[in-house]
Amino acid sequence: MKIKQLFRHSETYVLFIVILFSAFVTAINPAFLTLENLFDLLRSSSGTAILAIGIFLVLISGGVDVSCTTIAIVGQYISVNVLIATGFDNIWFAFAISMLLGVTLGAINAVFVSLFKLPTLIVTLGTSSLYHGAMLEFVGTKAVNVGGLPQSIKDFGAFNVLNVSRPDGSTFGLSVFFVILVVIILVTWFILKFTMIGRGIFAIGGNLEAAKRAGFNTRRIQFFVYMYAGLLAGIMGVMHLSLIRYSNPNYLVGTELSVIAAVVLGGARISGGSGTITGTMIGVILITILEKNLIMIGLSSYWQQFFVGLVLLIGVSITYLQAKFQDSGRRIIVKEEE
Amino acid sequence: MKLNISKLTQYKFKEPKNKYLFIIMLLSIIIMTILLPTSFLRGSNIQSMASQFPEFGFLALAMMLAMITGGIDLSVVAAANFTGVVAAVILNSANTAGMPAGTAIFLSIIAVLGIAVLCGLFNGMMIAFVGVPPILATLGTQGLFLGLATVITKGYSIGGFPDAFMTIGNGVVLGIPIPFILFVIGAVLVALLLNRTKQGFNMYMLGTNPTVSRYSGVDNSKVIIKTYIVTALLAGVASIIMISRANSMRPGYGSAYLLQAILVVVLGGADPDGGFGNIPGLLMAIITLQVTQSGLNIMAFSPFFRKFMWGFALLLVMAINFIAQQYGDYKRVKRMKEQVAATAS
Repeated sequence: MKIKQLFRHSETYVLFIVILFSAFVTAINPAFLTLENLFDLLRSSSGTAILAIGIFLVLISGGVDVSCTTIAIVGQYISVNVLIATGFDNIWFAFAISMLLGVTLGAINAVFVSLFKLPTLIVTLGTSSLYHGAMLEFVGTKAVNVGGLPQSIKDFGAFNVLNVSRPDGSTFGLSVFFVILVVIILVTWFILKFTMIGRGIFAIGGNLEAAKRAGFNTRRIQFFVYMYAGLLAGIMGVMHLSLIRYSNPNYLVGTELSVIAAVVLGGARISGGSGTITGTMIGVILITILEKNLIMIGLSSYWQQFFVGLVLLIGVSITYLQAKFQDSGRRIIVKEEE
Repeated sequence: MKLNISKLTQYKFKEPKNKYLFIIMLLSIIIMTILLPTSFLRGSNIQSMASQFPEFGFLALAMMLAMITGGIDLSVVAAANFTGVVAAVILNSANTAGMPAGTAIFLSIIAVLGIAVLCGLFNGMMIAFVGVPPILATLGTQGLFLGLATVITKGYSIGGFPDAFMTIGNGVVLGIPIPFILFVIGAVLVALLLNRTKQGFNMYMLGTNPTVSRYSGVDNSKVIIKTYIVTALLAGVASIIMISRANSMRPGYGSAYLLQAILVVVLGGADPDGGFGNIPGLLMAIITLQVTQSGLNIMAFSPFFRKFMWGFALLLVMAINFIAQQYGDYKRVKRMKEQVAATAS
């Protein structure tokens, strides 16, 4: 019974694909299933996972947010430029600026979504163009390379919470990024599970009108969702900077669709109201190993986009075919009862 | 000839919103003419504007058809890329093999339209039979098509086409650019499809209310599949114009068109929830965008500023739409209340 229930969730299938794919990659290239590669994957995908959690919240609330990556790059580029201009070389300062920008831009999204009741996809398409255009026009277009980068950001990217030494004496470790991700997962989980606002997010995603009648302050919930997604994007922006040690104002923009793909693969319904953080993380893992490990099995990186699209189509097909069959099954039962 | 102004002002637009669009379009043209008295309304500038917008205009036509049925097609640019790359490969290899230009062009156009039909069929079947929401289905196929284009070219651009092919994108007939002529034909055909055929009527029905449409005996699946095939065909035509204008094709070309297409379609009065959208509105929106863009270009504004402007314009138009609607509702309720009060007393 328990196992049967498990197979109703599309996450289970995605997890299977992850395991199968990992086994396949390991068979071809044993370097895949090593602690070092695992730590490396965690370090490079933590940022994507954090963005995915923000988009996940927006999806549950019944919307789509394609402006998250733009918010991340705006937060990153402006904070690193402020750090350089003021000479105040502190990682917390960078995070504070980026998070503040993220919350503000998220609030602007929420104004259009909540007060003007406009379709979320169109709003966030518009605002991402607005934010990115404004940053390139009024802040600058020049990339900041590793030489000009503040030391604290470089240190943060190299900071490990756990070090393991290789046989030859050199070490590799678990990045601090993973800790940030775990904290964000726990906080988000707590909000979704135990707070009124968290339950409200599911409620407005299921049925906005019903949630309103039930007494939820839908406007406040929508503002919370978009500001929280903006906050996470702000955090991700600085993390991304200290990961790649290079700030190009044109990076990240355009990758939002693959993050949305990850969240949807993880079982979050695009029409809102359902989804789990566990599923989202499984979706992120699948997209990450697809994007980062195709080379390991000898396929060139040109195939990356193709496979992401293919896996997304297969994943959503399973979900919606299942829904269709369950629906028709229910109809048959109703007929029998009559 | 005397212009009868009273008759002009009495003219009623079939779509009420088009009146405002017409005013916005006139305003943008007048403002640009005042700001740039010497360079804007010159023949050469008008000609270059008329040859610039069709490749994107076709994508906007495609996007509008999807939106009328209550869907969205995020894969239009990717489909244009994919078909364009295939055409580029055919043209390039035919050119090096010494095949006559006419045969090569014919073959490549057949290939583009054939692949476009397959792309549209795939999108339509995912939406109609599997039941995937259009935004997700086309998000997936966007990756698929763009991925295939990248795999074929290995990320490089392909060039070297027969000279005759270039006339499609750069040729001029009686002073009118050929892409513009193609676009006019396309727009007329789409207008006929929407207003004069059963399929067009069913598309509006489906977008307004799919359940009602189904219970009125309409085969929704068939309507959806046909819609996405037409959408992909329009993207295919856009790709032919793209590659012949640029004389090369690389995957990822024109990725900014996706946002622009959505912007123009929403500006032109289409509703993302479906059921609305018309050719005159879309044409006026496209002209407004092209005029503004060209004017900003002459005034040497950066492309970043234009990106900013587009986002701003999209949000502004939608916010104004919303406020106008709220105000209309408010006035209607007030009038009803007054009527009730009048009958009561």
